[in-house]
Amino acid sequence: MPDTAVEAAGLVKRYGNARTGKTALAGLDLTVERGDVFGFLGPNGAGKTTMIRLMLDLIRPTSGSLRVLGSDPRDNAQARGRIGYLAGDFRIDGRQSGGEALTYLGDLRGGVPPTRIAELAERLDLDLTRRISSLSKGNRQKVGVIQAFMHTPELLVLDEPTSGLDPFLQQRFVEMVQEASAGGQTVFMSSHVMSEVQQTCHRVGIIREGELVTVADVGRLRQSAHRRIEIAFAGTVPAEVFQELPGLRNVDVAEASGGGSVLRAIVAGSPDALVKAAARFEVISLLAEEPELEEIFFSFYGQGSHGNGSKGSRS
Amino acid sequence: MSITVFRKYLTDNRRGFLGWALAITAVAAMYSSMWPLMGGNSGLASAINSFPQSMRDAFHLQDYGTAPGYFGSTVFGLLVPILLAVFAVGAGTKAIAGDEEAGTLDLVLAHPVRRTWLAASRWLAVLAAVVVVGVVLLLAELAVRVPAEFTAISPAHLSAMTFQLVLFGCCFASIAFGIGAGTGRRMYAVVGGAYVTVAAYLCDSFLPQINGLHWIQYYSPFYWYLGGEPLKNGIQWMHCALLVGLGLVFAAAGIWGFNRRDLSQGS
Repeated sequence: MPDTAVEAAGLVKRYGNARTGKTALAGLDLTVERGDVFGFLGPNGAGKTTMIRLMLDLIRPTSGSLRVLGSDPRDNAQARGRIGYLAGDFRIDGRQSGGEALTYLGDLRGGVPPTRIAELAERLDLDLTRRISSLSKGNRQKVGVIQAFMHTPELLVLDEPTSGLDPFLQQRFVEMVQEASAGGQTVFMSSHVMSEVQQTCHRVGIIREGELVTVADVGRLRQSAHRRIEIAFAGTVPAEVFQELPGLRNVDVAEASGGGSVLRAIVAGSPDALVKAAARFEVISLLAEEPELEEIFFSFYGQGSHGNGSKGSRS
Repeated sequence: MSITVFRKYLTDNRRGFLGWALAITAVAAMYSSMWPLMGGNSGLASAINSFPQSMRDAFHLQDYGTAPGYFGSTVFGLLVPILLAVFAVGAGTKAIAGDEEAGTLDLVLAHPVRRTWLAASRWLAVLAAVVVVGVVLLLAELAVRVPAEFTAISPAHLSAMTFQLVLFGCCFASIAFGIGAGTGRRMYAVVGGAYVTVAAYLCDSFLPQINGLHWIQYYSPFYWYLGGEPLKNGIQWMHCALLVGLGLVFAAAGIWGFNRRDLSQGS
């Protein structure tokens, strides 16, 4: 198909009035091709959810243009029929069973075969007969995953979809996204989980303060495996030793509260030089973890550190 | 309108709706069954007749000694319409504003449902619930009519009264629904609905007693409901039209606003 899945040009969204209002999107330009799996990343409050809610016509743009699956989302129920949407904090009336809820939502889409719902439920290990109010947050999120996938939509819009799922289910979810992608479905996904983005997305876009900072290929990202490391030493270590090392960024050596010192840094590529340098001192503990994806990006593009704003009502 | 949404809304809320229907009916039946005590009690009737005229007007106590008079002032006079208004305002508020503040409206509207259809379907579902309350109430009243000795009121007149009661409830449901759909705020819908209920009652009972303010009752939905004394005179079509009209204005404005505004994400 020739047209794009998502196309935003100069998209602006302001909430509230001119005096107290807040700009959530400040002229966003973004194109997602059909068949793409697009990761949408950014700190809390950057405008990710705003963009997603605009795509579903839950809110309307202040200015600029937005086209989803080739048409304007405004009052476009027909286009929403071709989208599957999952919110990060998926919320649904608890006074019904999962099966009842999914049947109803399927009926709104003109009917989804019960076998399809049952198959997905089995795959995610969800009991459809239980009342939703009695389900754990993770199980409730499964209902959300099923309703987004069950009609095999052309476009999946997923807003931090695995926030409530345990690692096993996150893996299941990744498989489902991969299958959707293999079947030609387009996926637009905001996420904080590095591994999930690496496993599913072809491209990622970084949004900051309502503007698209950059779009990059995930393949390139994978090669530069960044790790955040933290090493505790028994004694005091000179920071210069580590600052000189290649592939080490954001080096910080601090006094530990119980004596000794702690090194914190981000390692790009092989940690070999760092390990050899650290071996000269007495090491008490060593911690290496994957930093959040946008953190890598900002260190990558020299955008400085970003605020760790609390999750607002809109982000 | 979407039948799927309409049916789902009624099934999801069936317990609450039936609970209110039974509660309101129980209150009405209780009052009704006291009629033999009150009606035959000439002492009570003369005591009430000695109240000041304006007080009797305010409480609709004009002819407490007759069945239509007693029923107009007690069963249908205060508690039942007020309870129904409370139910209607609550149900009308919940239909859009309550769902939106709970954060559960996003999900449904991310589906291929037009906003106007969703709102209209839920509005009609709430009205259907009010009708159910009326039907249950009418059946109970018809059932106790002979045992409770108020055969002086014909079934036709009882039905006329209940019909206007239902329209009265639908009017308040539509007011709260409209405010809630238009603003997305539960608080506005509840306060708006309660304000109109209280204002309607005062404009029909106490305010007209003030010199020069007698005309104010003609603007009160409460007067449109009860002022024409349907228990004696049957359905008052002009009053019915006013109740329907006011409800339609609020519901239509609410749906129009709902279709234009941003949805909130809930909290």
